[in-house]
Amino acid sequence: MAATMVSSAGALLAMLNESHPQLKQHALYNLNKFVDQFWPEISTSVPLIESLYEDEEFDRHQRQLAALVVSKVFCYLGDLNDSLSYALGAGSLLMSLRILIMFILFLMCLNFDHLRSVVDIFKFAGASLVCLTFLFLFLTSAKAIDEYASLKAKATESNAEAANVDPRLEAIVERMLDKCIMDGKHQQAMGIAIECRRLDKLEEAITRSDNVHGTLSYCINVSHAFVSRREYRCEVLHLLVNVYQKLPYPDYLSICQCLMFLDEPEGVASILEKLLRSENKDDVLLAFQIAFDLVENEHQAFLLNVRDRLSVPKSQSSEMVQPKSSDPDPAQNNSSTASEDVQMTEGTSASIAIVQETDPNDAIYAERLTKIKGILSGETSIQLTLQFLYSHNKSDLLILKTIKQSVEMRNSVCHSATIYANAIMHAGTTVDTFLRENLDWLSRATNWAKFSATAGLGVIHRGHLQQGRSLMRPYLPQGGSGGGGSPYSEGGALYALGLIHANHGKGIKQFLRDSLRSTNVERFIYDSAVAGEAAGISMGLLMVGSASEKASEMLTYAHETQHEKIIRGLALGIALTVYGREEEADTLIEQMTRDQDPILRYGGMYALALAYRGTANNKAIRQLLHFAVSDVSDDVRRTAVLALGFVLYSEPEQTPRIVSLLSESYNPHVRYGAALAVGISCAGTGLSEAISLLEPLTSDVVDFVRQGALIAMAMVMVQMNEAGDSRVGTFRRQLEKIILDKHEDTMSKMGAILASGILDAGGRNVTIRLLSKTKHDKVTAVVGLAVFSQFWYWYPLIYFISLSFSPTAFIGLNYDLKVPKFEFLSNAKPSLFEYPKPTTVPTTTSAVKLPTAVLSTSAKAKARAKKEAEQKANAEKAAGAESSSAATNTGKEKSSSEKDADSMQVDSQPEKKAGPEPSFEILTNPARVVPAQEKFIKFMEDSRYAPVKFVPSGFVLLRDLQPTEPEVLSLTDAPSSTVSPAGDSATGQQGSASAMAVDEEPQPPQPFEYTS
Amino acid sequence: MDPQLTEVSQLFERFKAACVREDVDTGSNLLSKLKVMLTGFRSLPPLFEDTPNAIHELTLARDIYEHAVLLSVKIGDQDAFERDFFQLKPYYTDASGRLPPSSQEYMILGLNLLRLLVQNRIAEFHTELELLSPTALENPCIKHAVELEQSFMEGAYNRVLSAKQTVPYKTYDYFMDLLAKTVRDEIAGCSEKAYDYLSISDARQTLLFSSDDELLQYINEEHPEWEIKNGVVIFQKAKESAPCKEIPSLQLINQTLSYARELERIV
Repeated sequence: MAATMVSSAGALLAMLNESHPQLKQHALYNLNKFVDQFWPEISTSVPLIESLYEDEEFDRHQRQLAALVVSKVFCYLGDLNDSLSYALGAGSLLMSLRILIMFILFLMCLNFDHLRSVVDIFKFAGASLVCLTFLFLFLTSAKAIDEYASLKAKATESNAEAANVDPRLEAIVERMLDKCIMDGKHQQAMGIAIECRRLDKLEEAITRSDNVHGTLSYCINVSHAFVSRREYRCEVLHLLVNVYQKLPYPDYLSICQCLMFLDEPEGVASILEKLLRSENKDDVLLAFQIAFDLVENEHQAFLLNVRDRLSVPKSQSSEMVQPKSSDPDPAQNNSSTASEDVQMTEGTSASIAIVQETDPNDAIYAERLTKIKGILSGETSIQLTLQFLYSHNKSDLLILKTIKQSVEMRNSVCHSATIYANAIMHAGTTVDTFLRENLDWLSRATNWAKFSATAGLGVIHRGHLQQGRSLMRPYLPQGGSGGGGSPYSEGGALYALGLIHANHGKGIKQFLRDSLRSTNVERFIYDSAVAGEAAGISMGLLMVGSASEKASEMLTYAHETQHEKIIRGLALGIALTVYGREEEADTLIEQMTRDQDPILRYGGMYALALAYRGTANNKAIRQLLHFAVSDVSDDVRRTAVLALGFVLYSEPEQTPRIVSLLSESYNPHVRYGAALAVGISCAGTGLSEAISLLEPLTSDVVDFVRQGALIAMAMVMVQMNEAGDSRVGTFRRQLEKIILDKHEDTMSKMGAILASGILDAGGRNVTIRLLSKTKHDKVTAVVGLAVFSQFWYWYPLIYFISLSFSPTAFIGLNYDLKVPKFEFLSNAKPSLFEYPKPTTVPTTTSAVKLPTAVLSTSAKAKARAKKEAEQKANAEKAAGAESSSAATNTGKEKSSSEKDADSMQVDSQPEKKAGPEPSFEILTNPARVVPAQEKFIKFMEDSRYAPVKFVPSGFVLLRDLQPTEPEVLSLTDAPSSTVSPAGDSATGQQGSASAMAVDEEPQPPQPFEYTS
Repeated sequence: MDPQLTEVSQLFERFKAACVREDVDTGSNLLSKLKVMLTGFRSLPPLFEDTPNAIHELTLARDIYEHAVLLSVKIGDQDAFERDFFQLKPYYTDASGRLPPSSQEYMILGLNLLRLLVQNRIAEFHTELELLSPTALENPCIKHAVELEQSFMEGAYNRVLSAKQTVPYKTYDYFMDLLAKTVRDEIAGCSEKAYDYLSISDARQTLLFSSDDELLQYINEEHPEWEIKNGVVIFQKAKESAPCKEIPSLQLINQTLSYARELERIV
C-alpha cells in the first residue's frame, strides 16, 4: 500500500493555524515525522513554528517538539548555530534514541566542514557496526561539542573564564564524555576532551583505559594532527608527560619525544642519565635509541642543550667536558693550519686517559656518556650514514655521461646543471669519480659556475666531518697570501664546507667566520649585493626558529636598503627565524604580507610556510590560497602556492587536491608554484595523484613550468622503480628525451638534468623526508628545502636540497654502536623495491650514442645480474683509461668498489629472471629499506639480535641474545674508518694523488686549473 | 462498524444539519470537534495507513472538509477557507487513486482559484492551475475562474464584473463580490499612476461607483492620501509618497567591475 504517499506538507502547515491546541499538536507531531521530506516547504513556515515554541501557554512537551522541528529545518538549511540553539531547546527529546538517530541523519546529510576535526577523530576509532552506532550517537552532540569547544577556546584566549558557556551545553558535553568513558570508548572521549579543552576529562579517559600505552600514543598522534594551537598542544603534551611518568613502566621513548616538542632538555637529560646509570644493559641501549630518535629530528639547539645538561662523572668532569665545548674559540683562531680532526682525536684520547683513573662505576658511566654524546652531537649517525651511503652507492655514472655528452659546451647553464646533478646523485657518498674523470670538461666552468663546481664537492662529501677541511683545502683561501685561486672557487669552497658541516657546525663556525674576515678584500670582487643576500639568508639560518627580536631589526634594514637582492635575502632570513612558531609569528607575518614591497610579501609567504610547516593549519592554507590568487606580483603568487607545499607536507594526500585547480591556472607562475608545492609535500611518497597532477605540467607550454614540474616529479618519484609505478620508467625516458633534444629550451633542459640527479640522489640510497619516524618535523630538511626553492634566483642554492636527503637505511647497532652482521626479512617481492636498472638497457634511446664497449658489457650485465657490478667496474675501467689524467686513481678505486659489489650481492642477488619471484627477501644488516618497504620488514624469530624498539628503518639498537659468541661486524670498509691522521694531512698537499691510492678512502679530486 | 467512525458520522450529520439551518456557531464548534476526532484515524493523510475501513474513513473525512470549506465561504472567513482547503487537498491529489471522485471537487477547486484571484495572489493561482489535469480545465467551474483571470489581466474589468451573472454555483457569489472590490483597487492603483487628477464624476465612472457618496466614502477609507479639491481628485501626493525607484546604476557598474576583477583573479 505504498501507493498513497503524501505529497505536500501544506495540509499539516495549514493545521498549525487551527485554533484547537490538539490539532496543532497533531500537526507538529506529523511535521516532525515528515520533516526530512518536506523541509523546503516547512522552512517557509518556520516563524510560525518558532512562535509555537515561544508560546508560554503551550504545554512543555509540545514546545520542545516545535523546537525540534525548527532545529531540524535549520539543520537542513545549513544554519547549524540556529539549529543548535533550538536543539538545546528540544532538551530531553533530543536524547530519546529514535529522534537522536534521525537527527544524526540530518547531520550526515549536511556537509561536515566545521565538524571535520571531530569526525576525523571518530574515524580513527575504527568502525565495527556497534562502534558506528555509537559514533552516530556522539555525532548528534558533535555540533554541541563543537560550539562548546569554540566557546572554551575563546574563553581561554581572552582569559575570561568559561562564564559565558551555556550551562546546557556544558551539561550535554559532560554527559557525552562520561558516557564515552563509561562505555570504554576512550578514544572518542579523548577526542572530545581535547577538542573541548577539558584536560581533566582527558586525563581521566587515559588513565581509565585498559591499554594506557596505546591510548597515550594515540593521544600524541591526535594532539599533533588536530590541535592547531601550539600553546594548547603544549598543554596537552605536558599532561601526557605527567601521565607517562606516573606509569609503572614509563615509555621513555615517547616521553622524550614529547619533551623535545616542549623544548625541555632538562627532562630528557635526566631520563637519559637515569638510563645510563642503570645496571641493566638494555636500559643503556634504550638510552642510545632515544638519542638516535632525537637526533633524527635534527633539532640541533635542543640536542646541544641535552648534551650540556648530562652530568659528568664527578671529579674529572669539568676537565673532560670543558675542552670540548670551548675548544673552537682559542684553537680555531689560527685557522689556516689547525685541523679540527686532530683536535677531536686528541679530545677523545684525553678523556679516555682520564676515565681510566676513576672508579669502575664511573668509568662505565663515562664510557657510556661519551657514546651518547657522540650520538647526540650527530657524529655517530653521520658517520654511520656516510659509511652506508658509501658502501651501498649504486649511482649510475652512465646517466651522467649521457647528459654530459648531449649538453653543449658553450651552454653554461646546462653545464653547471650537470655539475649539480652529479653532486646531488652522489650526495653524501664521497664518490667524486665523475668529477675526477672529467677535469678538462670541468675546467670550462667560469665565474659562478666555478663557484658551484667547487661547492658541489661539499654536497658529495656531506657529513664527511673529519676530513671536510682537508678535502677542501686546495680551494680554500690561503691565509694571508690571498694569491691562490679565484674568489669564486674560494667562495664555493666555503659554501661547500658549510654544506659538509650543516647543522653540526660546532667547530667549523669559527673557522668560517675567520676566513670571511681574512678574505674581506677579495669579497669586494663579488657584487656586494650578493654578499648582502647571502648574509641575510645565513642570518636566518643561524637563527632558525628562534623568533628573536633580530627579525624586526632585519625588517627595518630591509626597508632601508635599496638593493633587491639584499631585501630578498633578509626577507628569507626573517622567514627562517619564525620557523615552527605558528601563532607566535602571526604579527610578523601580518606585517610582512601587508608590506608594499613585493619582495617582503614574498618573504611573508615563506614566513607563513615555515611558521606553519607541516601543520596543515586551515588558517594558513586559506591565507596562502588568498595570496595565490589575489596578489599583484607574480613572485608572491608563485611563492604562495609553493608555500602550500610546506604547510601540507604532513598530509601529502591533501596537496594534489588543493592545488589541482591552481595547476590549471592561466598564470605560469602559479602553475610553477603548484608543481613545486606538490613536489615538496609529496616528496619521496610516490603518491599516484601527485604524479598524475604533475604529468601534464611536464609538457607545459612555458619553459620554466616544465622545469619546475620535472624537478617536482623527480622529488616525488625519488627511489621508486618501475615495478612500483610504471610511470617512473616513462618519466626517465622523458627526461632522457629532453636532455638529448637539441631544440629543447635551456630552462627545461636544466630541469631535466636536475631531475635526473634528484631521481638517483645519494647513490639511490636517500629519499627526501621532511618528517621523522615519530612524525616530528626535521628542521634541517625543511629549511634546506625552503632555501632550495630559492634557486629560482640563484642556482647554487640548489645544493640546499641535499640537506633534506635522509638515507633509507636500516642500520642495526649493538652496544658498542657497531654494526653487527645479521639477517632480517622483507616480506615483499624483491623486485618491488630493488634499485632501478642501470640505464644501459637497450630500450633507452641513449644506448646508440654510447661507446660500444659500454654497450656490450651492459648487455651482459643485463643477462647476468649477479656479475653486474664487476662488469660495470670493468666498463668504468675502460672509461677510466680514456681519461688521461688520474688513471691510476681510477684503477685503484676499482678495487674498492669491487669489494663493495661483493658485499652488496646479498642484497641484490636473489632475483634471477628465470622462475617465479620469491615473495620475500632476506636483507643483511645495514640494508636499504625504502619508505614503501618499511611495512614489510620483519625480524626473524631465530635471529641472534632483537631490537630494543621495533622500527623498520633508521638506526635501531639491538639486544644481543648470545653475547658470548663473537660478533661479525660489517661496514668496516667505509671511507673514514681506516684513515690515519697522517694520511689525512697528506691529502691537503697538492699532487699527493699517487700516495693516496694506497688508501681505501676515496681521494679528493686533483685540484684543477681553470683555463678560462 | 468501528464505534469511533460511527461517532464521527453521527457528529457529521449534526454538523450538516447545523449548516443547513445556517447555525454558524454550532457548526463551527462541531467542526472543530470533528477535526480533532479525525486526527485519531491513521488512514488519513499524512499517514495513509491501510486500515480496514480506510476507504470509508477517507470518504467521510473528505466530506467533512468539503463541508468545512463551504461553511467558511458562508461565514466569509478567507483564512478558514485556506486552512480547510489545504487540509482537503490531499484527498483530491494523493488519495485520488483510491477514492471515487467527489462531485464537489471541481466546484471547490474553482472556489479556491477564485479566492486566489480575489487576494490578488496570481502566482499561486497559476501554480494551482498547472497542477490540474486537462480534463479538469474543461470543467465550467475551472473555466470560469480561468476566464476571469484572463479578463482581469487584460484589464477588461467590465467583463469581470459582468461575469457575476454567469456564476456556476451560488456559493461563488461571495467571492465575486469581493472580486469587484479587487478590481476597483486595481483600477484605483492604475489611475493613481496614469493621471495627475480626475474630476469627481470621471473618477466615479472609472471606479465603477453608482454615486459620488460611495466614491467619497471609498476614498476616505482606502486612499486617504488622495486630495479632493474643487471637484477634482488629485493623486499628486500619492505619487510623491510612492518611492521613486531609481536604477542603481552606480552600484551595478561597481558590481560588474568587481565581477570582472574577480574573474581575472580566478586562479
